[in-house]
Amino acid sequence: MKQEDRLKIQAWLDDELAPKESARIADLIDNDLEAKELAEDLRAIQKALDVGEKPAVLEDSREFYWSQVERQIEAEEPITENVQPELVSGSLGNALRWLIPVGSLAAISALMLNFNSINTTPDLLETGEPGIEISLPSPVNSPSGLTEGSGTIPEEGSPTTPEVGVFSFEGTQNGGNLSSPEDPNTLPESIENPER
Amino acid sequence: MAKLDIPNAADDELVRSAQKGNMDPYEELLHRHRDKIYARAFSMLRNEEEALDVSQGAWVKGWQRLKQFQHNSSFTTWMTRICINLCLDFLRKRQRQQTDSLDKMEEETGGVERWMEVEDYNPTEEMERSELRKEIDAAMAKLSYEHRTVLVLHEFERMEYKEIAKSMQCSIGTVMSRLFYARRRLAKILISLKKERKS
Repeated sequence: MKQEDRLKIQAWLDDELAPKESARIADLIDNDLEAKELAEDLRAIQKALDVGEKPAVLEDSREFYWSQVERQIEAEEPITENVQPELVSGSLGNALRWLIPVGSLAAISALMLNFNSINTTPDLLETGEPGIEISLPSPVNSPSGLTEGSGTIPEEGSPTTPEVGVFSFEGTQNGGNLSSPEDPNTLPESIENPER
Repeated sequence: MAKLDIPNAADDELVRSAQKGNMDPYEELLHRHRDKIYARAFSMLRNEEEALDVSQGAWVKGWQRLKQFQHNSSFTTWMTRICINLCLDFLRKRQRQQTDSLDKMEEETGGVERWMEVEDYNPTEEMERSELRKEIDAAMAKLSYEHRTVLVLHEFERMEYKEIAKSMQCSIGTVMSRLFYARRRLAKILISLKKERKS
């Protein structure tokens, strides 16, 4: 007898076969001795298992068992509560995860460009034209929110002041605040999927 | 609205109250059914400590997911399924940590017993029900976890092949094959236990 038929005899006993196949297997059991013996063996095991399982009883007291479960529930609850805000602002959080590094990179690039421009000014000074004034538009605070310096390039050796040729990126610094609540480092690391 | 009489309330009433966030009805449900859930964990894991941990984990998970319970089945059936899933996760993790056993290698082919004649087995002969239960329990303990799980799910949980396949993350063909060899192996063990008893 083929193994496939053996498995189908079992499926027939378990009532798992389609009606047409069920009729074929019933016919096989009626007419084939090996098939009939197998069906009887499998039926005997089914009958034995019908008595059910040996009951297993917990030895822990009701109170102790519950207290352990309750403690685990309470220990895991704050995590569940923290999940909600993140789920609500999930798309914003994801966007910030990209925007923060990109914004920071842009700020650094802008600063480097600015420093390059400062580095080039001594060349101008070396041309023997000290005290060149680069006219920059007034007022000092540009509409873009960037704070500009006076625009006057000092002579070599003169005390440098913070405003000399430096643009401070106030807006960017605020946007890149790593201690902000949306910072991925401050968000819970993992949230268990409630669905399996 | 009348206050719920917790000790005398039906399971369904307790569940509905617990779904509103009340923990006392859930505690009552746990007291009523903790033995059944523990017994299922123990029948699958065969280790008291692990069964205790997993059964408690099932009650924790049950509370966390209680709002998802739709009352389409009984609460105990729902809780038992949570427990079975946790047992299967646990067994899968344990299996990954172990090297392949002979049982694993023989699982699909049935090993040598494929070529062995199965002796006649009459379960009711000379045995009380409680004795037979003990003997089946001893025989189940000797099965590989794949064979034991498929038998527990089919014979005791009355799950269909497709449900078992879904739970065990395998094909229906594998379920049929495992079930077939699990039954033959169980019969063989029961026969040897019967012989030991008589000698």
